[in-house]
Amino acid sequence: MPKVKAKRQSVSLDMTAMCDVAFLLLTFFMLTAKFKPEEAVSITPPSSISEKKLEGSKGLITISVGSDGAIYMGTDDNNARTAMLERMANRFGVAVTDQMKKNYYASEIVGYPAGAMRQVLSMKPTDAKNKGLLKGIPCDSANNELFLWVSYAKLANPELKVAIKGDGNSNYKVFNQIVGTLQEQNINVFQLITSPEGKPK
Amino acid sequence: MAEIDQSGGGKKGGKKRSKKASTKIDMTPMVDLGFLLITFFMLTTTLSKPVTMQLNMPDKTDTKETSPVKLSETLTVIPDEKGIYYYQGIPTEAGTKLEKTNYSKDGIRAVLFDFKKRIGNNFTIVIKPSKGAKYKNIVDFLDECAITDNKRYAILEIDPDTEALIKRSGL
Repeated sequence: MPKVKAKRQSVSLDMTAMCDVAFLLLTFFMLTAKFKPEEAVSITPPSSISEKKLEGSKGLITISVGSDGAIYMGTDDNNARTAMLERMANRFGVAVTDQMKKNYYASEIVGYPAGAMRQVLSMKPTDAKNKGLLKGIPCDSANNELFLWVSYAKLANPELKVAIKGDGNSNYKVFNQIVGTLQEQNINVFQLITSPEGKPK
Repeated sequence: MAEIDQSGGGKKGGKKRSKKASTKIDMTPMVDLGFLLITFFMLTTTLSKPVTMQLNMPDKTDTKETSPVKLSETLTVIPDEKGIYYYQGIPTEAGTKLEKTNYSKDGIRAVLFDFKKRIGNNFTIVIKPSKGAKYKNIVDFLDECAITDNKRYAILEIDPDTEALIKRSGL
């Protein structure tokens, strides 16, 4: 009997299929990943055991409070953003050029008194930040611009939900002012953004 | 498959063969890179998911009659930067005893559990954050309410009587 020769198998295996899967997954994760927008200030929210997700499929206004108590506001609804700028500029008599509009859309947030609007919008958001012009939106009883920003956003899209992202070390007074301002507009449900924390047993 | 069959043909008529370079390329580095990126995107997408705590405030324009709460079933807490004060009763009365605790597991949480056990389901918490309170203190306290399963609470502004009580107690 002749010897049966074992056929030698190739050690290199075909990686095409694996490669296909890998890149399919890669594309998926790349497209679904939402990068953190550049923040005007770094905010460390306090932690809570809550497991509720942020809700705002029809648009969300995020009001941020820095550790120094400065108030910033942003929304993910582009129509509302446009309306906010138009009406605010109109009210404070600021002529908005195309360049200013571009700078406005480049920044996720609004965080300056209306008086400084022309100056802030005439430069890039990063420059304005470096120059310390983002002082926050005034929100006291004498000059409540936050009220105006929020009401103009709500006019453009009444479905907007409000989330408050406060720094853990900011003073409660600021938070109280924001809540008071929003309650005047009949916004009574707030979502406080917190970082997750383990539930105690 | 991506390989191209090169075995066909064989020797036919002794034609001259040019040496063919293999069309197979080594895909290992590409796959490595692919998986590295996948790992990166997988980790970055799942790790930074914020959670929210819902806070409902009463409607200011709503003047409907609210249900009265018994004084004996309420606890007033005053979150402050350095600790948390609590008392039962009316701040101006001499018999009202103010106590102070901290935000730890054995501090305010034990107090809330204790009151909840004694008073039952009608236990209501009135929150009057002090002027020096940080936002974190309020969220911590609301969190404690969630942990101890207390849904009846209200956030009010601090009044001069309560401030005087804190001053008087010297805590």
